[in-house]
Amino acid sequence: MGKEGILVVASLDMYDNSRRKEDRFSISNLPSVSNPQDTFANITRGDYEDYLKNFRSFEEQLIGMTNDTSLIDQAREDAPEQAKLSADIQRRNAERYGGAGLSNAQKQEQQRANQRGGALNLAGNVNNARVEQRSVNDALLKELISVGQGVNQNALSGLGDASAMSAQRQAAYKNAKSQHHSNMVGLGGAVIGAIFGI
Amino acid sequence: MSSKPKASEYAASESEKATASIALADKQYFKDKYLPKLTELRDRSSTENYQGVARGRAQADTMQALTNRPSLAATRSVDASADRAAAAGSQLLQGSLQGLAAQRGDQVNVLKQARGMAADATSGLSRAAKIATTKNLQFAQAKQNRRNANFAMGSKLAGGFIDKDKNSPGGLFGEGGYFSGG
Repeated sequence: MGKEGILVVASLDMYDNSRRKEDRFSISNLPSVSNPQDTFANITRGDYEDYLKNFRSFEEQLIGMTNDTSLIDQAREDAPEQAKLSADIQRRNAERYGGAGLSNAQKQEQQRANQRGGALNLAGNVNNARVEQRSVNDALLKELISVGQGVNQNALSGLGDASAMSAQRQAAYKNAKSQHHSNMVGLGGAVIGAIFGI
Repeated sequence: MSSKPKASEYAASESEKATASIALADKQYFKDKYLPKLTELRDRSSTENYQGVARGRAQADTMQALTNRPSLAATRSVDASADRAAAAGSQLLQGSLQGLAAQRGDQVNVLKQARGMAADATSGLSRAAKIATTKNLQFAQAKQNRRNANFAMGSKLAGGFIDKDKNSPGGLFGEGGYFSGG
């Protein structure tokens, strides 16, 4: 086979490959639906099962987070840690400057100021964290209430539909019964009328 | 007189079949490709450390701003260390807050999407039930119509039979018949 022949075969292979790829996106792969009603019911039931399986516990977890305290807890941990970090920086800087000419009294005062600052920072940060935590939790609560309203409305609409369908069926049954009764009476009347020549 | 209706006359049209097929294919595609993304986002929004990046940056920015040029005056200062700790604490709180807000935003988004799907499923089931109810009622009505027609036919036949019987001698109601009393 010559060079041109090899090129032709290669390009045909490429064409076949691209056709195979296109076949994946072909409409000939569409599923057939023999019973749309059953398919619809099965799929929607499956969807709800999927939601229960994949998202119900996540939803419950999220609902439980409206009383979250993670920001406050974190702020409680942060304040002493930052005080220690800052005191270490102060100490290293003083060493860099050969003691920075600080007397013992000044060093003690620095330590006391650091301790006071630490306590104040702890109180201040925890208070701020409380405010922020409240705003985050309230925002979550607002979103959850909005989601819950949707759930409630949807559930009520479903119940309303079920009730209307039940009423419709009962009315049809009563109607059928009364028709049957009137038919029987009519038949009896016709027979009696025919017998007595009425 | 019209001919008996054929089931084939009530079969789904090609466009109806195509609509159902495309809908089913799209539904399957959604389930295969998009639903896993939503569960992925659910997991990420629950497990990923949103606050870590924001807090790390807050800490780094604070320290860069307050310690990049150490001076003798700052080193001798009594309250510089406490001020630095206060600034770092505040910045860290802001970092935590941004992270937590982003995390909650993603989580609520996942829940809304999932709930939207559940709502679609519930309303879909309700529609399926309505379709079934309508179909059952239509079947019942058709059956009732048949029953009524049978009754009417039975009444006519019975009346006709009795009339004929009465006008003929013997039999049940005719002259000298079983019920004539003769």
